[in-house]
Amino acid sequence: MAVNKDMKILVIDDFQTMRRIVINLLRQLGFSNTYEAVDGQQAWERIQADRDFDLIVSDWNMPNMTGLELLEKVRAHPDYKELPFIMVTAEGKRENVIMAVEKGVSNYVVKPFNAATLKQKLTRVIGDF
Amino acid sequence: MQNVDLQKRLEEIEKADGMVPVAEVRELLVAVRELFEGGQAGEVSLGDELSDLAGYINAAKSELRAFADMKLADKEIPDASDQLDAVVKATEAATDQIMDACESMERNNTALRQRLLDVDPPLDPDVLASVDDMLGESQKRLTNIFEACNFQDLTGQRIQKIVSTLRNIEQQVLRMVILFGMKQSGEATTEAVVQERMEEARQAKESGSLENGPQLPGQGLEQDDVDALLAKLL
Repeated sequence: MAVNKDMKILVIDDFQTMRRIVINLLRQLGFSNTYEAVDGQQAWERIQADRDFDLIVSDWNMPNMTGLELLEKVRAHPDYKELPFIMVTAEGKRENVIMAVEKGVSNYVVKPFNAATLKQKLTRVIGDF
Repeated sequence: MQNVDLQKRLEEIEKADGMVPVAEVRELLVAVRELFEGGQAGEVSLGDELSDLAGYINAAKSELRAFADMKLADKEIPDASDQLDAVVKATEAATDQIMDACESMERNNTALRQRLLDVDPPLDPDVLASVDDMLGESQKRLTNIFEACNFQDLTGQRIQKIVSTLRNIEQQVLRMVILFGMKQSGEATTEAVVQERMEEARQAKESGSLENGPQLPGQGLEQDDVDALLAKLL
């Protein structure tokens, strides 16, 4: 099945420049229907309000609610438990990756990353595009 | 004289009517001096510890003063956390400028490509292909610049490590509290026991923490390592 390039993507990071980088790289890959949140709490409110996001791309270390806590909430909710969730984070220890997988992450990108890596991880989660 | 005995003796003197023998006063003074200077071989001196702490704080303040001289904001920045905020904001502003310029160039490239396609009569196909290749190459370089802007996020997180300077001060204070506590209970304040107590306090605080931030080169997992681990787990 062809990937819908108009899929709705929520990009979450407490650093505005990082959100901008991810959004720019997604646009270059053909995905322009992107939205932003500054932390897990705001993201969770947005996810519940809009109810139609197709993909979450989230940092881990954020105030109010971390990316891991957001992932737990998403996976615990019956409406979002299958929602694709990619962690993009500087947390590069083995135990971080294991914990994220245990909580149900779809894929994991370590900062700094490049466009090719992001594309590869996206492909793994949503299919070839 | 043990600390418990010292306290008891002081209480007795407070309650006593009349003069206190000089010998007893001398004994008390020696005991108080030992409390601060360390009476037994191998015991830590509280006076030395206080002196070390004061020296550490002064050194930290000198280093932070050096940052303030860089005039990172419009006015002098006396506070460590304000300095950290200023550094992060400065790099964020610079990164925004870089990305503004890149996005503008992307729009220009797109407009140029379309303009060339719209030329009437049409341009030579070989020329068009050649220009298209060059525009593609330009786009790749713009992508590289966006990727390089990862630095702002990583430096912002690394700067948080400077906060460890403040945490080190916290550790020094903890050490002092432990030492005083041990003295109060009459324990021998050997370095080994002090270190053991500090480690217990540190482990109690840090157990279960997964928020460690960017790793130094060679210490965290590279993307290939993460992929290999994911391949086993997913």
